[in-house]
Amino acid sequence: MKNGALLFLGLFAALGVSWAGIVLGSSRQFGALAPFYDGGSDQSFPAGMPGAAARGQLVYRDLNCASCHTQQVRRPGYGDDQARGWGARQSVARDYIYQPFVQLGDSRIGPDLANFSARAPSAPDAAIIYSLLYNGRGSMPAYQFLFETQKISGEVSSHALQSSAGIQAPAGYEVVPTERAEALVAYLLSLSSPFDYPESVPAAPPKDEKAPAAASGAQAAAPAKPAETKK
Amino acid sequence: MTTAPASVTPVDSDSGAVEACGRRPLLFMTGSAIAWLVASGVFSLIAGIQLHAPGFMADCPIFTHGRVQALAETSFVYGWLANAGLALVLWILARLGGEPLRAASWIGAGAFFWNLGVTLGLVGIAFGEGTAIPLLQFPLAVQPLLLVSYGAIAVGGVLAWTGRRRVVMYASHWYGVAALFLFPWLFSIAQVMLLWFPVRGTLQAVVAGWYEQGIWTLWLAPLALAAAYYVVPKARGAVLGSYDFASLGFWCLLFVGAWTGGRHLIGGPVPAWISTIAIVAASTLLFHYAIVWINLRGAGCAGGPALKFIGFGLFAYVLGGLGDALSAVRGISEVTQFTHFDQAQHQLAFTGAISMMLIGSVYYALPRLTGRAWAYGGLVRAHLALTALGVLVLVAALAAAGIVQGRDLMQPSVAFAKIGSDTAPWLLLASAAQAVLLLGNVLLLVNFFKSALCPFYAAAAASIRRPAALEARAS
Repeated sequence: MKNGALLFLGLFAALGVSWAGIVLGSSRQFGALAPFYDGGSDQSFPAGMPGAAARGQLVYRDLNCASCHTQQVRRPGYGDDQARGWGARQSVARDYIYQPFVQLGDSRIGPDLANFSARAPSAPDAAIIYSLLYNGRGSMPAYQFLFETQKISGEVSSHALQSSAGIQAPAGYEVVPTERAEALVAYLLSLSSPFDYPESVPAAPPKDEKAPAAASGAQAAAPAKPAETKK
Repeated sequence: MTTAPASVTPVDSDSGAVEACGRRPLLFMTGSAIAWLVASGVFSLIAGIQLHAPGFMADCPIFTHGRVQALAETSFVYGWLANAGLALVLWILARLGGEPLRAASWIGAGAFFWNLGVTLGLVGIAFGEGTAIPLLQFPLAVQPLLLVSYGAIAVGGVLAWTGRRRVVMYASHWYGVAALFLFPWLFSIAQVMLLWFPVRGTLQAVVAGWYEQGIWTLWLAPLALAAAYYVVPKARGAVLGSYDFASLGFWCLLFVGAWTGGRHLIGGPVPAWISTIAIVAASTLLFHYAIVWINLRGAGCAGGPALKFIGFGLFAYVLGGLGDALSAVRGISEVTQFTHFDQAQHQLAFTGAISMMLIGSVYYALPRLTGRAWAYGGLVRAHLALTALGVLVLVAALAAAGIVQGRDLMQPSVAFAKIGSDTAPWLLLASAAQAVLLLGNVLLLVNFFKSALCPFYAAAAASIRRPAALEARAS
C-alpha cells in the first residue's frame, strides 16, 4: 500500500459505513418511536417520567448503579427473567422513550430493575427501598451517605424513617433521607412496564410448525400492527 | 502527501537522531501512562474487593462500587492505553518516516492538556458527574478539552506520516494512522449523540454499543497492533511471515470490527438485527485474528522480555477474538450475558491483549528514546512473571465466577445472596490477581523513574553505539 489518500478515504469509509448502518439504520427504524394509544383505557403508554423520578435517574446515574443492575427484562425462553418475577413480558424499545438517560446496564450482580415497582409477587414500597438503601442486603452495601442522622428537636420530622422498616436510630435521634435519596426512591418506584404493547407479546413457543421465523425488530417501527415478537 | 525521492538515505533509526526533537513529550506521555497504569490498578483492586466484600469503603460516596469501577476503567483506557499507545505510535511513525519528529511542542502541549483532562474527568466521576456510559464515563465538561488535546498530539503523528521519506507504507503505518484519525471521529460522534443532544430511548444503547466496540476495534487494537507490527520484526531481526496478507487483516478489522458492537445487546430492547449482525461480524472478524496470528506468530518464543510481553499479548488478542465470537452465540450468551464472564472477556482484551502488547513495546522503545538501557533487568523479568501470572489468574477466576453466576441466575430458586456466596471464592482469587498485577506495574514505574528520569548512566554513550546493548536483557 502506497497511497496515503486512499488509506485516509478507506478509514473514513470504514467508520462511516458502520455508523450509517448501525446508528442511522436503527435511528431510522425506531428513533422516533411514538407512545402507544390504548383506546380501551383512553390513555397513552408509556407515561411520562415525573420530575422527582427524572431527578432520581440522575442520582442513579451518578452512583453508576448500572454497574450492578440491568434494566432490561429478557424475553420468555431466553434466561429465566420471568421466573424471577422481574416482569411478565420482555422489555421493548417503547418502554424507554421518555427516559432521558437510558440505563440498560450490562451486569447482574444485583437483580434487574426494569419493572422494579411492579415486581411480582411482592412489589416493594418506599419503606422497603429506604431500608434496602440504608442497611444493604447481600451483595449490596449500605448507602448511608444518602441519609442523615439528626437529633430530634421538638417534633419528629415528617420525613423521618420508621424503625419498623429496620432502620435503627440512637435514642433521641432520627434518620432522615436526603433529597437525593428521596429522588432515587421516586425514580425506582416509577420503574414499571404496566402495559403490554403489541410488540411485547411473547412469541408462541416453536411447537407450532407453521409459525414463521419472526422477522424481528421491524415491528418496533410499526406500532399498531398486531403482535409479532422480537427475537 | 509528501513523497521524497527513494534514493535519500534514511536516518539510521537507532542513532537517536529521529528522537532528538520529540524525546521530552514522548517521555512525558510514557511516564504519565505508567503512572495511570498504577492508579488504575489501585482502583481495580478496590472495585474487585468490593465484589466479595461489599461493605469495603462503601461509606464514602467517592468509593461507591459503580464510581470506582468507572474510575478504574477510565484511568486504564484514557490514562494508560491512550498515553502509551499514542507515544509509541508517534515514535514509530517518526522512525518509519526517517525524519525527526515534528511539531514536538504541539505534542507536548497536547499531552499536558490530555492528562489534565483525564485528571479532571476522574475527579468529576468521583464526585458524581460521570455519565455511566461504558468507556465514555467522563463528565461532559472535560470531553471537548480531551478532543482538542488529542488533536494536538495527533498533529505530530500525521506530519510524520505525510512527511515520510519513502512512499511505501508498512503495516504499522496503516494501524497507527487509523488509530490517530478514527478516535476523534468516534469520540465526537458519541459525545454529540449521547451527551450534547441525546438520542431517544434505547437508541442511546445502540450508539453506546457502537462506540464501545469502535473504541476497541478502531482505536485500541490498531494502537497496539501498530506497535506490535513494528517491534516484532525489529527485535527479532526477521521479516514477518506471510506479510502480503497483512493488509487484508487490516481492512477486515476496520470494516467488520465496528459492526460487532451489538453483541452487548443480544436479547435487549432493540431490534434483533443489530445483535444478529454483531454475531455474524464477530465470526467474520476471526479472519482478522487469523491473519494477525500468522503474521506475528512465534513473537514470544525467542528474544528478550519485550518480545515475550508482546507474544503473550498476541496470544490473548487472538484468544479474546475467539471468545467474543463464541460468546456472541445466543445459546452461550443466554448464560454468560450480564455475568462476570463479560468482565473476564473485557480483562482478557484490555489487560491481557492491548496492555501487554503496549508494555512490551514500551520496554523496547524506551531505551532507544532515552539512549539508556533499563536500570534493572531483574525488575523487567519480575514484571513479566507477575503480569503473566496476574492476567491468567484474573481471567480464569472471573470466567469461573461468571459461569457459576450464570448457572445460578438460570435457576430462579437461587437467591442473590446465595449467588454472592457461590461466586465469592472466585472473586477473591480475582482480587488477588489484581494485587499481583498492581505489584508488577509498580515495578515498571520504579524502573521507569530510575531509567528515564535519573541522571545519565556511564554506559550511555557506549550503548548508543551498540544498539544490541539496549535490549532489556534476560540475565
